[in-house]
Amino acid sequence: MPLDTSSYSLALLRLDGRRWNELRRLTAQISTQASADGSSYLEMGNTKVICTVSGPSEQKAAGSDRGERDKAGVRVEISVAGFSGVERKRRGRNDKRINEMATTISSAFQTNLFTNLFPHSTITLSLHLLSSDGSVLAALLNASTLALIDAGIPMKDYICACTAGSTSSYSSNDESADPLLDLNAQEELELPFLTVATLGGSDSVSVLVMETKVQVGRLEGMLAVGVDGCKQVREVLDEVVRERGSRILEGTKL
Amino acid sequence: MPRETAPSLNEKLFFQKALEENLRIDGRAFDQFRALELEFGDEYGVADVRLGKTRIHTHISAQVTAPLPEKPFDGLFTLTTELSPMASPAFEVSRPTPTELLLSRLLEKTIRRSQALDTESLCLLAGQKVWAVRADVHVLSHDGNLVDAASIAVIAALQHFRRPDVSVEGESVVVFGLEEREPVPLSMLHFPLCVTFSFYDLGGGAGEEEGEMRVLIDATSSEEMLRDGGCTVGMNRHGEVCQIAKLGGVPVDAVVLLNCIAVAGQKVREISDFVKGRLESDRKKRDKGGWMEELRAENDRVS
Amino acid sequence: MAPSSTQQILLSPAELSYIHTSLSLSPPIRPDARTASQFRPLVAETDILPSTNGSARICFADGTEAIVGIKAEVEKSRPIYQQNVEELDLSAGAADDEDEDDEVGNGVKGLNEWVELSVEIPGFRDDDSMPVFLSAMLSEALLADGDFTKRLWINRRFHWKLYLDILLLSQPLSYPLPLLSLTTHLALLSTRLPKLKSELDEDPLFDDDWDASEFLYPRAVGKARTRPPVTLLVMAVQENIIFDPSKEELAVAEVVLAVSIGEMSPPSGGGSMEVDSGKGERDLRLLAIRTIDPPSRLTHSGVPNTLNTATGGSAAGTSEQNSSQRESVVEEGVWQPPRGGAKRKLIAAMISKVLERGGVAEEVLDGLDAVELG
Repeated sequence: MPLDTSSYSLALLRLDGRRWNELRRLTAQISTQASADGSSYLEMGNTKVICTVSGPSEQKAAGSDRGERDKAGVRVEISVAGFSGVERKRRGRNDKRINEMATTISSAFQTNLFTNLFPHSTITLSLHLLSSDGSVLAALLNASTLALIDAGIPMKDYICACTAGSTSSYSSNDESADPLLDLNAQEELELPFLTVATLGGSDSVSVLVMETKVQVGRLEGMLAVGVDGCKQVREVLDEVVRERGSRILEGTKL
Repeated sequence: MPRETAPSLNEKLFFQKALEENLRIDGRAFDQFRALELEFGDEYGVADVRLGKTRIHTHISAQVTAPLPEKPFDGLFTLTTELSPMASPAFEVSRPTPTELLLSRLLEKTIRRSQALDTESLCLLAGQKVWAVRADVHVLSHDGNLVDAASIAVIAALQHFRRPDVSVEGESVVVFGLEEREPVPLSMLHFPLCVTFSFYDLGGGAGEEEGEMRVLIDATSSEEMLRDGGCTVGMNRHGEVCQIAKLGGVPVDAVVLLNCIAVAGQKVREISDFVKGRLESDRKKRDKGGWMEELRAENDRVS
Repeated sequence: MAPSSTQQILLSPAELSYIHTSLSLSPPIRPDARTASQFRPLVAETDILPSTNGSARICFADGTEAIVGIKAEVEKSRPIYQQNVEELDLSAGAADDEDEDDEVGNGVKGLNEWVELSVEIPGFRDDDSMPVFLSAMLSEALLADGDFTKRLWINRRFHWKLYLDILLLSQPLSYPLPLLSLTTHLALLSTRLPKLKSELDEDPLFDDDWDASEFLYPRAVGKARTRPPVTLLVMAVQENIIFDPSKEELAVAEVVLAVSIGEMSPPSGGGSMEVDSGKGERDLRLLAIRTIDPPSRLTHSGVPNTLNTATGGSAAGTSEQNSSQRESVVEEGVWQPPRGGAKRKLIAAMISKVLERGGVAEEVLDGLDAVELG
């Protein structure tokens, strides 16, 4: 396996020089696009995501899949740019993995937003993945939260997401495996990992997705680290929102 | 587009009231599966699973093809799911619904991505000829919990399936008919199954305090329509979690989730034992003939 | 004729007539008080994505935003035997007598299929007419001079395959062609390819050092350069020629042209002499022109008082009579969708307005030059 996990146990540093509980550089901006109702740009390491929100707007005729009349529907469109990966690849709109992510994001926000305030309407989230280097679903969720805040749609709390993994691949029954926080693409290829999204600073898990095999005993540690990471993410997102808010209050730059 | 009729307000309130009193509409315990039935067809690799009123038919087939150029040593394994209008009027033939998307993705992740089927063992001639195993999942009747039932059906059918024996000499591959040589079973690395939990938030909704949570297993389709969130755990009997999918929905405390995973492990062991028992009795049924008796040793090793 | 933007703007005949009248004054009065050739401010940045060979983002003042990412991959050329033999002779001869530059120049051949361009617009499928037309127009301008693909030549056996992915991030409020074109222009300018280390027809080997990479469009200071094309939208209302139209202005346009301009390096002999004559000298070429179906044709006409019973006029009995009567009445201040084509003189005037010295194209290119490249 290309990832040299042996060096990890010596220096306790990962390939990119982080410690086990360190997030990558997480930066974000909101209100990046004037024509959208809400927009955000978020970087988690080299994963870069743009989110724009339009709505709540009138429900598109018959097109909306969920026919709930007393609530707003949340529609999510994800487009993965052809240049986002290492090799140029075009993905069709029917890619099941992408559609699954869209369903997940839509369902997470459907319960988190006060959709009952906007009957007969649709909130459309349009997400663009510009560069992908691991933690894609987490980045998409975080960007969506920020854009929805920018759009001024009332929500219960931030949905903050990050990934957590475990050193040493699933085949070995290594009991001393350490949990890792916020994996990059290379680590995601080699190690078991999960994506977790929590509601605000609480321990309530809104999204939990794991696609790799792992011993059940490791799960608790990974989940704990993930939930903890989400709290760190929340701090960063909150800072972004507050900074923007204070700038509006000062009236310096809208 | 025909839509599933949503439960009426009365049904909804009745159901919630019952949950508050720790009752389910059909009288089951919260962590109880419906009656599980598993039957095998006359052919190898045909399994029919009934879980209450949900019924799923799975058919495994295999043929020799060329491997993918990027993976010359691996056989192919494809899972296709089909939700026909027969299962529920809400399904249309050419239109994938979110239900279908999730069903196929979850099966894919639980069974294919976790390498339940040893695809390397399906290779005949590197880069030229491999077995392509195909699992067709047909939902005959939909009354909730498709994922769990489908995972049982696929895993049971894969274990039941026998592929024709082959001999490889140099570059030539000879496939023997079922009469010529005893067909061989597929090599499976582990047997993952899914358990789906449904979450119901009984909290006042507007109140700040954490609402009371009810967790159900094996929800019927009306229970599924009323749930606030779901979580599917794919595990094998050795306590390895193959996938977790809590795709949005109501937020659930992390401790509750860990609890669910523990429960899932226990359920998976129970169902695995059940499947094993059924496979055993099916084998005995087929074993009646005298000449089959001689092949017993081989079969024992298999199951 | 390329299709117009499908987003119909909801303006009443009275509003359309108001905009139309004010735009046909001399000088025209635009809704946002710009002069006829004034562009709206835009925000641009390049080299934003480290995983691409070149990238750019442009944000227009109306909030529309586009990102272009360019990725290059080495691809084996299809052998073209006959041509190869001829070239072999030529370049062998050239290598003997002439300097290196010429030798490379002789063997270089480019094929249009080395460039793949895709446009993605939210809310549109890939095979809808809008993205298809936009990508056709953009690649038409890019490939028009036949020089571009030569830059992708590595050696006789290999070439770069260039993938241009153009994403519109916002809803297509106005016709997105100029936005996409300007963004592509900047992305191409910032595109870098690894430096070739191997020689001649060996399997290509590249320098790992990204700092040593070479720009697709070399940027030698002071030397005349070739630049990627830009496509501008020009519209006319009566005799007035208006640049960078907003969506409201497009709604009353009589003629809309998409003009693609490229900048050539002058022939290598005279290049050094003209360096001193000033930086403003640009050798502009017209690469492509497309007329675009103005959305104004789809609007409903206003009803003049003489045909309106509510104002004492007499309405026509049948709809046929109505339309024929409507044709004959020309009334000031009542909106009438434009009909017929554009006059040749007008089109010629529009083109020369773009290309003339000190004209709009130069202004745009100067503006894009000012964008700091990574």
